[in-house]
Amino acid sequence: MADVGLFITDLALGLLLGCVFAVIAHGLNLIWGVAKVVNVAHGEFIMLGAYGAYFLSIWLGFNPLLSVPIDAAIGLAVGVGFYFGFLHRELRGKESMGLQSEMVTLVATFGLALVLINTAQSLWTGNNVGIPWSPGVVRVGSLQLPLGGLYVAIVSVAIIGLSHVFLSKTYLGNAIRAYSQDIPATQLVGINPTSTAAIGTALGFCITMAGGALLTVWLPTGIYPAMGNLYAPISFVIVVLGGPGKMWGSLVGGLTLGVIIDVGQLFLGGSIALATAIAFLTLIPVLLFRPEGILR
Amino acid sequence: MRLPAIRSFGPTLWGIGLFLIVLAGTAPWIPVFLLTVLIQLLIYATLAYSLNLITGLTGYVSFGHVVFMAFGGYALGIGVGTLNLHPVAGVALGAVVGLALALGIGVVTLRFRGVYFAIATLVVAVAALYIVLEIKELGDGQGIYLNIGFEPLSWFYTIWVILAIEVVFTYWITHGRIGYGIRSIKSDEDAAKTVGINAARVKLFLYALSGLFAGGAGGVYWWTLSGVFPYQAFDLTFSLQMLAMVVIGGMGTLLGPLIGAVAVYIPSYIFLTIFSGFQFIIIGVVVILIALFVPEGIVGSLRKYIPELRGILE
Amino acid sequence: MTHVLEVSEVHKYFGGVRAVQGVSLNVREGQVVGLIGPNGSGKSTLLNLIAGVERPTKGAISLDGQRIDRWPAHRIVGQGIAKTHQIPKPFLVMTCRENVAVAVMFGNHKQRESAKALDEAGRVLALVGLEGKAEVISSNLTVQERKRLEFARVLGTGARILLLDEIFAGLSPNELRDAIALFATLQREIGFGALVVEHVMRAVLTISERVVVIEEGMKIAEGTADQIVENPAVIEAYLGVEAARATP
Repeated sequence: MADVGLFITDLALGLLLGCVFAVIAHGLNLIWGVAKVVNVAHGEFIMLGAYGAYFLSIWLGFNPLLSVPIDAAIGLAVGVGFYFGFLHRELRGKESMGLQSEMVTLVATFGLALVLINTAQSLWTGNNVGIPWSPGVVRVGSLQLPLGGLYVAIVSVAIIGLSHVFLSKTYLGNAIRAYSQDIPATQLVGINPTSTAAIGTALGFCITMAGGALLTVWLPTGIYPAMGNLYAPISFVIVVLGGPGKMWGSLVGGLTLGVIIDVGQLFLGGSIALATAIAFLTLIPVLLFRPEGILR
Repeated sequence: MRLPAIRSFGPTLWGIGLFLIVLAGTAPWIPVFLLTVLIQLLIYATLAYSLNLITGLTGYVSFGHVVFMAFGGYALGIGVGTLNLHPVAGVALGAVVGLALALGIGVVTLRFRGVYFAIATLVVAVAALYIVLEIKELGDGQGIYLNIGFEPLSWFYTIWVILAIEVVFTYWITHGRIGYGIRSIKSDEDAAKTVGINAARVKLFLYALSGLFAGGAGGVYWWTLSGVFPYQAFDLTFSLQMLAMVVIGGMGTLLGPLIGAVAVYIPSYIFLTIFSGFQFIIIGVVVILIALFVPEGIVGSLRKYIPELRGILE
Repeated sequence: MTHVLEVSEVHKYFGGVRAVQGVSLNVREGQVVGLIGPNGSGKSTLLNLIAGVERPTKGAISLDGQRIDRWPAHRIVGQGIAKTHQIPKPFLVMTCRENVAVAVMFGNHKQRESAKALDEAGRVLALVGLEGKAEVISSNLTVQERKRLEFARVLGTGARILLLDEIFAGLSPNELRDAIALFATLQREIGFGALVVEHVMRAVLTISERVVVIEEGMKIAEGTADQIVENPAVIEAYLGVEAARATP
């Protein structure tokens, strides 16, 4: 039986980790809510954000925190490209996803996911890499917390907070929220649907890639091309837990999942893999008991 | 449910049947190297037909189909390695395991609407990998090594039987009353229920059988590799390939999965000898293009643009 | 045997919204019951509850004494109750004939042979005047034709009690007259019972043996067409208190 000190440490670590989870989930939430597209390749963009931070650390000596704004900028560009390349054709004139087009984007983004993974594998080989950045620890009471983890948690919360302020207080932000709820109504009040959707999508990718950079702090040896296979399901579970399109949900969901994984592995013989698997499978009962348009 | 009469087998079914019979008859004389390529092709075709049963026919996109193939392989591993069964029995066990697994997963996940179903299957497949890695009886993350010989003819005939049954089954359910029910569900599941179709039961039936055939195919696949290894077995690339074959060939059609298997596997086999890994990038790009611009796939497009073919090609 | 549908004290709450509050009514085979009320009064919800699309929060729905309120929709169709959709939902990739044939195959009849089902479908299409469009893909139909196809599909199931949601909406006066006549003829020949949700007063008051009035989820009146028209509560619900007071 684990002792209380270990439990509290894992709880704290889980919360810190959960903040970063919240960021990557928030990115997905924006893309899902605004572009109304379930981006199956979400994990691959997290991966790109992580590799971005990695290369910046090798070439320019940046630590992950410094990489965040650069990754974010790249994410914005990628998001705009994704919107106009992929989605604009599909969404033009359609207010909501019909079965046919829903299936099409699922398949298409799945194809994109594997293109990205295999390209990454060809370019960077499948070996694990990481950023050896360790600014030390901080003592809080009897707890010893990694400073790196604490810093990215703070940045994560800041990102989500900024996003929340943007979405609720600015004109553009409110337009994006309106769009995610009711496209025809948005048009009726004079908001340009294309630019709104494009910006919302861009923002989603921006936050996703920033999240990838932040995640690297927790992965000293854990950056590899297929890492998206782990973080995409995590993001999906979080978004569904909080409700797709509900913007604060990502934070709550992220913290919950972070805690489940870190505390869970304590009770499962130290196996992160098993704890993660269990965490994923929580998606199923959540979906079963949330009837808002999820069930047939 | 009655079997359709022989006189009503369409030209496409006869065509596929002829192709399979010729293959079966000439197999012992085909050079070994070519035979192994054909075996892989038949395995992928079987997988494509199995995904077609759920994704092609009802429109429920499944990303996690690889999970049935993987457990089929593990069933073979346990069957041959621990229970000392003959590999063919191991394959049969794989099919049964696939069926049971599909029933278990389907009963829960088929309740979810399209997007959520797809995500749920993906999550299950990834979770399954992590769970299998931890189980000692399943090789504790290292996989199961089998000491089976190189028997291409046995491999060939085993997968041939599975594929043949599958094709006939696909033909059967796309015709007659059940076929109408399935098409109604794909067109508008809610409306289908309001005309009396038990959509849940139809979907589960199709999904269970797709698990059966995928499990069997997985058993044969890992038989040819004389062992089963977790990271490879649960590799989502298999799901991509299956999806690619179904989408490129033409979803829900009889010929589609076979055409799709040829269209995807043969070029990728050729590429494999030139740039390993690169072929999946191309497959992915093709899938994207087809999904966005030619969603009917090859067979669907032929039927759409050449009306004379509609009576023959399905 | 004459089938009887009984709705007893049925409630449906969607979160805080009380869509249906304690409604009771019954419909017997062969009888046409109209269901009217202002917009948003819960009429369509009530139809959904009977058809098994939604489940009542409280109360019971029975067919011939057997509780059906917890049954899934397809099972209720199998027992002879079928519903149209307010906005028609045809199987867009199929022809009209195939649309109705599916209903024949899976509805009350459960016709197993698809060839016979297709023949029967043709017959049903002729009943509603769509025989000329039998081989047309349903996505190519006008809205009015889709409504008729929807009705044909419900007939195709062989249901003995039909739940009809605004089938007379959007018709010109001439079309309306023909539609009412067609409905009356079919009802006489086939002998089905029907619960008819309508806003088109002329239609519902003409065809209904009895009319039930719903407002804000509650039944406020029931009677013959003549009685309903003069009922002060009904007038108030539609036209306001002043109009009710002005009635002699």
